[in-house]
Amino acid sequence: MLYNEPSPHETRILTRRLVYPQAEPIGYEQYAAQQGYEALRKALAMTPDAIIDEVKKSSLRGRGGAGFPAGMKWSFVDRKSPKPKYIVVNADEGEPGTCKDRIILENEPHRLIEGCVIAARAIGAERGWIYIRGEYRRMIETMDRAIAEAYQQGILGANVLGSGTRFDLYTHTGAGSYECGEESALLESLEGKRGNPRLKPPFPATSGAFQCPTIVNNVETFSAVPDIIMNGGDWYAALGAPRNGGTRLFCLSGHVNKPGVYELPMGYNLLRMINDVGGGIRGGKKLKAVVPGGSSCPILKAEECDIAMDFDTLAKAGSMLGSGGVIILDETTDMVKFLYRTMKFYAHESCGWCIPCREGTAWLKKILERLDAGVGVSKDLDMVDQLAQSMFGRTFCALGDAAAMPAMSIIRKFRAEFEERIRSAQVFIPAPETRPLVVL
Amino acid sequence: MADLITLTIDGRKLKVPAGTLVIEAAKQAGIEIPAFCYYEGFSLQAACRMCLVEVEKMPKLQPSCTLPAADGMVVHTESPKVADARKGMLEFLLTNHPLDCPVCDKGGECELQDMVFRYGAGESRFTEIKYHQDEKQWSPLVYYDPARCILCYRCVRVCDEGLGVGALGLTYRGVAAEITPSHGDHLECDECGWCIDVCPVGALTSGTYRYQSRPWEMNHTGTICTHCADGCKTTLSVRNGAIIRANNRDRSGYNGEFLCVKGRFGYDFVHSGERLQSPMIRKNGKLEPVSWSEALAAVATKFSEIKARGGKFGVIGSTRTTNEENYYLQKFARQGLGTASVDHHRTGDVPALIDALSGKTDALAAMADLYQAKAALVIGADLAQQHPLIAYQLRANYRHHKMAAYLVNPGASREEQYAKKSVHAPPGKEMEAVASLAGELKGHEDLVVIFGASLRGEGVRQLVSFGDTLGIPVKYVCLVDYSNSRGAMDMGLVPELLPGYRSVREAGMEPGLALDEMLAAKDLDALWAVGANPLESAELASSAAFVVVQDLFLTETARRAEVVLPAQSAYEKNGTVTSVTGEVQKLKAGAKVMGTKADLEIMGLIAKEMGLNLGIWSPDKVFEEIRRTVRGYNIPLPVVATGGAAQTTPVNGRVPAMPRPEHIRPSGDTLFTSGTLGRYSKRLSSVMEAPGELFKG
Amino acid sequence: MPKIQEILSGAAAIAKGMGVTIKEMMNPVITDDYPDAPPKFQERYRGLHVLQRDEDGLEKCVACFLCSAACPAQCIYIEAADNTAQERISGGERYAKVYNIDYSRCIFCGYCVEACPTDAITHGHGFELASFNTSTLIYRKEKLLAPLAPGQTGKVKLDHPVMAETGH
Repeated sequence: MLYNEPSPHETRILTRRLVYPQAEPIGYEQYAAQQGYEALRKALAMTPDAIIDEVKKSSLRGRGGAGFPAGMKWSFVDRKSPKPKYIVVNADEGEPGTCKDRIILENEPHRLIEGCVIAARAIGAERGWIYIRGEYRRMIETMDRAIAEAYQQGILGANVLGSGTRFDLYTHTGAGSYECGEESALLESLEGKRGNPRLKPPFPATSGAFQCPTIVNNVETFSAVPDIIMNGGDWYAALGAPRNGGTRLFCLSGHVNKPGVYELPMGYNLLRMINDVGGGIRGGKKLKAVVPGGSSCPILKAEECDIAMDFDTLAKAGSMLGSGGVIILDETTDMVKFLYRTMKFYAHESCGWCIPCREGTAWLKKILERLDAGVGVSKDLDMVDQLAQSMFGRTFCALGDAAAMPAMSIIRKFRAEFEERIRSAQVFIPAPETRPLVVL
Repeated sequence: MADLITLTIDGRKLKVPAGTLVIEAAKQAGIEIPAFCYYEGFSLQAACRMCLVEVEKMPKLQPSCTLPAADGMVVHTESPKVADARKGMLEFLLTNHPLDCPVCDKGGECELQDMVFRYGAGESRFTEIKYHQDEKQWSPLVYYDPARCILCYRCVRVCDEGLGVGALGLTYRGVAAEITPSHGDHLECDECGWCIDVCPVGALTSGTYRYQSRPWEMNHTGTICTHCADGCKTTLSVRNGAIIRANNRDRSGYNGEFLCVKGRFGYDFVHSGERLQSPMIRKNGKLEPVSWSEALAAVATKFSEIKARGGKFGVIGSTRTTNEENYYLQKFARQGLGTASVDHHRTGDVPALIDALSGKTDALAAMADLYQAKAALVIGADLAQQHPLIAYQLRANYRHHKMAAYLVNPGASREEQYAKKSVHAPPGKEMEAVASLAGELKGHEDLVVIFGASLRGEGVRQLVSFGDTLGIPVKYVCLVDYSNSRGAMDMGLVPELLPGYRSVREAGMEPGLALDEMLAAKDLDALWAVGANPLESAELASSAAFVVVQDLFLTETARRAEVVLPAQSAYEKNGTVTSVTGEVQKLKAGAKVMGTKADLEIMGLIAKEMGLNLGIWSPDKVFEEIRRTVRGYNIPLPVVATGGAAQTTPVNGRVPAMPRPEHIRPSGDTLFTSGTLGRYSKRLSSVMEAPGELFKG
Repeated sequence: MPKIQEILSGAAAIAKGMGVTIKEMMNPVITDDYPDAPPKFQERYRGLHVLQRDEDGLEKCVACFLCSAACPAQCIYIEAADNTAQERISGGERYAKVYNIDYSRCIFCGYCVEACPTDAITHGHGFELASFNTSTLIYRKEKLLAPLAPGQTGKVKLDHPVMAETGH
């Protein structure tokens, strides 16, 4: 089902078949009636290289967060390798503020299946998994039903639409770990191991699931593929900004009047997104800050929000587009609590593999808990910044960075608010004295 | 060798093979990069982030333990950025690490202490409450304190990759992550204790060494483990004459750091309450403690008397005494007592192998060959149980070089985890199974064949001629069971052979009685058992025999003896032993037990008492004589003297007289048993699993 | 005349001498009355060692061996043992089962006191060590331990707050 009314400002490509309210997922009949699986038929007539070229031309970038060009990723797979190749769909949507993959999984599962089969054709894969987070119980059932339908219709199985190639697709349930959204940790989890990230290189394209070449992409990335094949890469690229092709699903949350998932072209202006699409700040309050792409992205202050939402522009502004989870904070937001809550999440989700992330997130959480309770000293603020710097860029996977970036950006941009909290504390509790370990 | 590439580390230009890790390249140049999780020979983790270095043209600091050196790379290991990163990592580590160094067993040899001292910050900024979990006991030998654990995963890797046991894993996440046994709350493993040794902090502590001492309080003596025949170097840590710890952290022997439960914990028999500490003579049917001079005089008088009347002697040597003692014993028997009835508990047919290999050079494998060979064929041996070091060498070879292993065993063994092919064949049918593997074996560059006591006599000859048909270089290891079984054979403790596999006829004698025949001889006048317990499973037929026993404990044989002389164990004396692969290594005295004497000294004193001139009885002098007179033992002295292993040159030629293979009786010891010694080791019994079961997988 | 002068000068000399005596009589005594009265010590006098107890009467010593390592005369011998749930001797995980100081070797340098991480070993003011037999100069733990203060049991109280967080 859809959770919000579509906005007239949307460019509906990915969501074009969806109506509001969408009571039931789009089944095979309805999907096929609306040009469904035509892209697959077209792709089966194309050579794998032509498919990859088309995706490259579309400048489709990974929708999971890192924004790596999908066509490029696919071209890294050695199709001549004697090992089997695999497709893995990352549906472990765990980034706070992000709820876009569920829209596809829940409403239009066949779009994802079609995207997967096309990708499989492109790299020569005969097997794929959709790794869905365990909390998405209903989506897993929807997906399983759709896969069963696809098998019945000959889209999946030994002979994909009579082309003579085989493709099997399965769903795989995660156990609710944020870390398993990282592609290599996801693969470990898929293999039945503890979801720790893997050493890179080798990247999954050379050695992924079960040491075989694998492409791991987000649900939205795969779902964009059918339209690219149907209408051509150039058409798709033209929808968005330079080197940021197409549209993407933005998840507006926080203090806006109309929160929800909206499909907007890449490079859409953030202020327009808040005011036109999101219907402005709730209660007529003033905008304070925006987290542009899920909780791990550095925060943008209100005056920085007149910005185009694409990967490159945001990177230039010192933030990230991430997974498209736009969190809007109005002037009443307590930034100390906001940062504490964010850090509590990361301390809980750190897998414990490497030292800086394991110990750093827990330490930051404890300091911020103190600050939030009004039991902080001004020295703590520098310490939060320094600890975040000690973590940033030094952890095994990106989770450490994801925790460090909001901490650094929030404490730098809203330092006055933190200082005010310390000053206004009702109880004065002196910070425990630190003593030198070695007296020289 | 791969192509050499040039990289610069801290301004020094180095040439290393392509693909070398930066941390290793730096080590070669003498530049230390600190690391916790990097452990040579095991899989890479990059988890501790201590080894971060700055590489020019790379935006982020790179972990040097996973970064392969590339041509033209410029690395800085001491830049301010790197120093800051190290300081930061150590600060993070210390946040939840209890600073209880005074009560921590690792204090003084703790890698975290050293690193904080060298790279850490002077003061601590952490003022929050530490996360704490209570200490757990996993087995009688292993304790785990999660609070101290820094999660470097060394223990997990040595257990899984090194031993193939995989008894440890990781549970929970974030700051609560901790190491947990695969069986939940207790260990079901080899109890080798290697995890304790590799732990860089005091998270894993040993049940035996716990709170016993401090590293600086002990003297460390590198000697050879006295349990199985693999000849692992074990470094005894001794405080006030008592061994309180054994390990091999200095990697001085060919076993590197590897030791099994016997090497690391099985030394406690030395200080068993049942050790004999005074000579005893049977008076009025009871063994009574007497002085050394009285006991020695009693033996000498009786031996001289029996010798004078031409009585029948039986001399049984030990599989655990040194080469010097074995040599001296056979010399004593043959020259001093004039008897050819000399034997020991034989556990493998080494003479048959040497005879079969006549004319070949370089056909006996050394321990290092097991790690280098391209393929291995194991016949009739549960290596992980009986020969842990050989099993470890083969496994390491498989992990590092993808060696192909072929097994021909009566049942399952742990090597099946990685073996290319495993055939189950009952004893006696091995050769048929081996023949079926010929095609596959031919495809490898070289082969090492390891066979147990089920192949003997003709079987060994068939095996060698099978090896000849393969057309590739083949090396052999004949498995024997005790720490100096091989040395006892080499030193001629058999009725048919003099030292160096020469016929006893050369000395103008006819072969005497074998062990079983001595026990069965009704007219035996004297039985002299040196470190042997033949009456454990047999009866002495001659009721009038004068029995002299030199041993550590009051064994079944000692209980029957007229005179019992308390001997020293291998951990208390000097000398040399020969391992299963024919490598000679030096024993060094570590522990002291009051009232005991080395067997060599006891024999020397008896000889002196009897007025025999058998040469000076110091280990060095006797070893010199061995080097001079025993074929194959003319090994380079400096190698042995400095604690190395020197392989004896195989006796190249036919063995003139074959000891009878029917007298071979394998010990059947498992990982947790060790003949008589094992019975007196409380620790081995406390952790024993599946006693006496081989080939159970 | 000279006679009077002699008398006067004699008297003056006596008065001067007595003056010193009387003046000193008024001053506080600086010599000790030992052995009739106990001697006085500077607070930091380094005498016979005392092994201290904590506020519950538990031994402070955790048998870390640092004193014995610091000792230049190597006169401290320790054997450590594990505190058990039934029998708690020290505040830490372990305690000194044997703690001997050989006073025939001790040089009272105080390095052991400096090295002690738990302030367990301190110098007391005892000094009467003389003996005709050196074997009596090895003092065992029982002799070195501070006596239990009134009200102390030497057993741990179970209502201690747990100063750590557990669980996840």
